Amino acid sequence: MITMMESLKNIMVMIELEARRLRHDRTELYVRAVQPVLWLVIYGSVMSAVKLIPTGGIPYIAYITPGVLLQSTAFVSIFFGLTIVWEKESGILKKLLVTPASRPSIVVGRSMAAGVRSILQAVIIIPIALLIGVVFLPNPLYFVLAFAIIFIISAGFAAISIFIASFLKTRERFMGIGQAITFPLFFASNALYPIELMPPLIKEFALMNPMSYAVDAIRGLMISGNISNLPFDIAAIVIFVSVMLAIASVSFKRIIE
Amino acid sequence: METAVDIKGIVKVYNGKIKALDGIDLSVEAGKVFAVLGPNGAGKTTLMRILTTQIKPDSGEARIFGLDVTKDGAAVRKLISYVPQEMCVWTDISGYENLLVYAKIYSVPAQERKRLIDNVLQTMELDNFSGVLVKNYSGGMIRRLEIACALLIKPKILFLDEPTIGLDPFARKIVWEKLMSFKKENGVTVFFNTHYMDEAETYSDQIAIINMRKIVKIGTPEALKRSVGGEIIRFSLERNVPALIAKKIKNMKIVVDVVPGNHELSVFADDAGIALPRIMDILKKNNVYIKEVSIKKPNLDDVFLKYAGTRIESVERVVDIRQMRDRIKK
Repeated sequence: MITMMESLKNIMVMIELEARRLRHDRTELYVRAVQPVLWLVIYGSVMSAVKLIPTGGIPYIAYITPGVLLQSTAFVSIFFGLTIVWEKESGILKKLLVTPASRPSIVVGRSMAAGVRSILQAVIIIPIALLIGVVFLPNPLYFVLAFAIIFIISAGFAAISIFIASFLKTRERFMGIGQAITFPLFFASNALYPIELMPPLIKEFALMNPMSYAVDAIRGLMISGNISNLPFDIAAIVIFVSVMLAIASVSFKRIIE
Repeated sequence: METAVDIKGIVKVYNGKIKALDGIDLSVEAGKVFAVLGPNGAGKTTLMRILTTQIKPDSGEARIFGLDVTKDGAAVRKLISYVPQEMCVWTDISGYENLLVYAKIYSVPAQERKRLIDNVLQTMELDNFSGVLVKNYSGGMIRRLEIACALLIKPKILFLDEPTIGLDPFARKIVWEKLMSFKKENGVTVFFNTHYMDEAETYSDQIAIINMRKIVKIGTPEALKRSVGGEIIRFSLERNVPALIAKKIKNMKIVVDVVPGNHELSVFADDAGIALPRIMDILKKNNVYIKEVSIKKPNLDDVFLKYAGTRIESVERVVDIRQMRDRIKK
């Protein structure tokens, strides 16, 4: 019980640290918001004019907003692993290992810290989406739940990046791999089009892609109001995040040595 | 007297093939300042990472205040503080915030945090910069902040890995002055790695000389210097001394030891005045021409030379680390 509380406290400290860093310098948040906004403004408007994709009656830009939000979340979180590589090059990780903080609590804490960035990213993107005419469901409870999902799944994506960081010891290598992971996560999911439209193999992948479940949940909570799949979505997300955090905790040993 | 560090037969092999430590034995009394002196690659950092519970030895045993570093890691971590060789503060937050984060990780009670942080900031003479982002600090200030983070919890033992590497002499001096005044007030044991002879000599009570993964000699700075003989004669030569002749010189009664080098020869003797003419005779007879001779009192460099058979070549490494610290600072 005491170790539980200890770990929880350490996770909170890591989250606080991230918030403090962002308070001093937010440029990265703004720069990273450019790409998702372009997706909505350019790709979204063109495709909604084409009217090729069945969205179940939802305007196309609104349809892809949850996906674009989550893509930016995944992007931010996976590149967050870069921070860990940086911390490995510097002495910060070594120093943290010598504190009473347990190793899993360091890994989980660092991962959850990515959630802070993701949430703030969403806070920037949503008003812009509103400006270009996306209608969100005015349900505060749904919104809170949606943000919680964004926060949690960020930890899962960040854990993927910690896992990769345990293999790649330099920043340069990380950059390429980061791209290679975020792309299939985004395109082979229901972020831009329904899974039913996909050819069989990609469909299989999309069904195993955690992004699909997060998109489904957030689309239900923020846009369509159809939350019949929500418990199932949340279960899938929680499993994904737990498994990734466990893998990251184990692979963390490789980062240290 | 209480034993702070007790190490027996520590061996560490990386990836099953690269041997980093080959049977280390040493012990450190509580309250002392202990230096591990050796060149890059000797195994200093590996030893410190084992003592600070970051990595496990392949065999042997290490105890910190009686606690086994592999079995009681969590308990050990509550007693110790550590400053790695590389930078260990976040540069995009202020000095105060760095200390605050560490204070929280160490579960310092909320009502004591501010007082403790202000205290160490003052000890390290950073109180005027507490709100400034660390990326605007100088190298010496960053080092002092890192040490402040380590002192915050009043550890029983402080581990410092090359605490002044990459700093200019003035900044080095300040770092050490602050450390020593903290030590005096709090009686903490200090265990530090260095390749700076002068630091080991000036600030430590005991020195362990490490070379090629092994401890080659342990003693107080004075005892170490005494052990190499009263004086050192250094010859600069036209060519290397053949092994046989070096041996012949070494066998002379008035000579303590002989260390041949590249186009040079160092002779440790109790009385250089008597030894010098005789050695010059031998060299001349064997057609080894002398370019230059100097006689001096031994310092730690010579002690190192005698026990490790080599000099500490570290210039390159320092430049390396400085560049890395600069790069990380962004």
